Amino acid sequence: MTTSMELQDVHKSIGNKQIIKGLNFTIKRGEVFGFLGPNGAGKTTTIRMMVGLMKITSGDIKINGVSIKNNFKEAIQYVGAIVENPEMYPFMSGWKNLKHYARMIPDITDERIKEVIRLVGLEKAIHEKVGKYSLGMRQRMGIAQALLHQPSILILDEPTNGLDPAGIREIRTYIRNLAEQEQVSVIVSSHLLSEIELMCDRIGIIKNGELITVEEVQDTNTENDHVTVKLDVDDNEKVKSILQAQLELETKIVQDRVVANLAKSTVPQLVRKLVEEDIAIYEVAVERSRLEDKFFELIGENTIA
Amino acid sequence: MLNFISLLKNEQMKLYSRFATWSMYIILAGILLVGALIVFIFGEENEQTYGDDWKGQLAQENEELLEMNEDVGFVGFDSEIAVNEYHIENDVKPHPYDAWQFTLENAGLSMIISLFTIIVAAGIISNEYRWGTIKLLLIRPISRTKILLSKFVSVLLFSVTMLVFLFIISLVIGAIFFGINGWNPNLVQMGANEVEEVSIFAEIFTQYGLNMVNLVMMATFAFMISTLFRSSAMAIGLAIFLMFTGNTIIGFVAEYDWAKYILFANTNLNQYIGSGSPIIDGMTLGFSITVLVVYFVLFLLVSWLTFTKRDIAGN
Repeated sequence: MTTSMELQDVHKSIGNKQIIKGLNFTIKRGEVFGFLGPNGAGKTTTIRMMVGLMKITSGDIKINGVSIKNNFKEAIQYVGAIVENPEMYPFMSGWKNLKHYARMIPDITDERIKEVIRLVGLEKAIHEKVGKYSLGMRQRMGIAQALLHQPSILILDEPTNGLDPAGIREIRTYIRNLAEQEQVSVIVSSHLLSEIELMCDRIGIIKNGELITVEEVQDTNTENDHVTVKLDVDDNEKVKSILQAQLELETKIVQDRVVANLAKSTVPQLVRKLVEEDIAIYEVAVERSRLEDKFFELIGENTIA
Repeated sequence: MLNFISLLKNEQMKLYSRFATWSMYIILAGILLVGALIVFIFGEENEQTYGDDWKGQLAQENEELLEMNEDVGFVGFDSEIAVNEYHIENDVKPHPYDAWQFTLENAGLSMIISLFTIIVAAGIISNEYRWGTIKLLLIRPISRTKILLSKFVSVLLFSVTMLVFLFIISLVIGAIFFGINGWNPNLVQMGANEVEEVSIFAEIFTQYGLNMVNLVMMATFAFMISTLFRSSAMAIGLAIFLMFTGNTIIGFVAEYDWAKYILFANTNLNQYIGSGSPIIDGMTLGFSITVLVVYFVLFLLVSWLTFTKRDIAGN
């Protein structure tokens, strides 16, 4: 996989205060990268540096190999972004707003603008003033302006802020499609894990201006990981004693289910044993070890809202 | 170059998509209309038509003016008398008040245009911050310098458009109320040393042009404040305050030598033209132009430095 963006020891100081203390990570082509951290951790500052709105104090950010610091005009051509809220000119129609941004990039035809409008589903309202749009429509306008020039990297700062569940779902679908079908790298920032867990391939966690860890979302459930299994069976007490005696597992009964904690690799063995013992099994539910628990461990309570 | 024109188109589109901009044109046209009505109903110029015996009428006028001069006790109407004498001596019949003279008098209304231009200049940067659109504006493959320049040129474009509008509307309203004497009648007026006859078109052009100097300087000042403080209210307030108090300030400090380096001592280039005299002795047209250029460059430099170097942080 090729690299879309690379952060090289990025620092940012404002006055004497260090806000970003050396970020190093790469974003691969066609992946959705979640940028997670509590409010004030430095997410927005980092994103503003990625798009050249803020100067990098030291270090560099390379976009498709081009430095945003030294070659802004070329590097920014690969990037489409929404920084914080998708603010538009409220007194102009959606069409004029898009036309406005289209004029600032070479070779954007009216056909391309129409294509983008279709993509985000704003055909009906495009000639109305943006001031009359709902938040969801403005969010879609934001995505439309970011996609105009077919960027290879899309940066979305809190894209689901203020959206209703349907809107969040919609955005999630767009983002997955872009990454999978168009091979666009997407960087999504959020302070809500539950929101980005579902759309990201990898999640980087930032706290106090430092990258704490980068986690693969799919990777959290390997063979050796311990999982929690909930069993719905006909005889709870019998199952409990079988598990304790024969598999040496700690079990307890919660809400009429037998709950045990074991390595994922021993689950088949457990099921076989229960069948041999002639237990009627209605359900074996394996709970994924939640990312959230991991994150709370990493950055402590009260930090992820 | 092509994308600079695109940027200008963008700025003009944003400007004219707002009712506030159109209301400026409406207000200006309204003021002209009211002015024309007042002159039409109460004005003496309008009734002062000269018949076949216009030389006699002028001579009589001069006698009256001389009497008034004596009554008042100081030279108050000398230039009027000289102008009248010129008419008689050179056998040039004075034109009645018409659209051209109305237009010439309205050159003073460029003060209003200055006001509107200051409002536009003060908003063109700070509004982008206020709307939050600055973030989307500056993440395009265009340098900040170019964006700033396009905004400044847009302000100038707006003021020129408005000036042309003032000129045309004055002429049209003037023609409706007072008629028009040919396409380029001559105007007899007091020059530097003697009475001279000039083309009224040239005179209108000169007056509008000279007023542009003050306009451009104040607009550039407002533009700088707006870039510096990202607040249009502050930029409008400061620029208008200085525009109206500038001459008073000069009046207070005129005795000092450094006063001639103050911007407002130099914005009125009329002081070097025709019967005008410099505010402070020893000032020349060349000196004033140099001072103006220095201020102009300074204002733009401050705008440029702040705009290109500044981090676009949270609201």
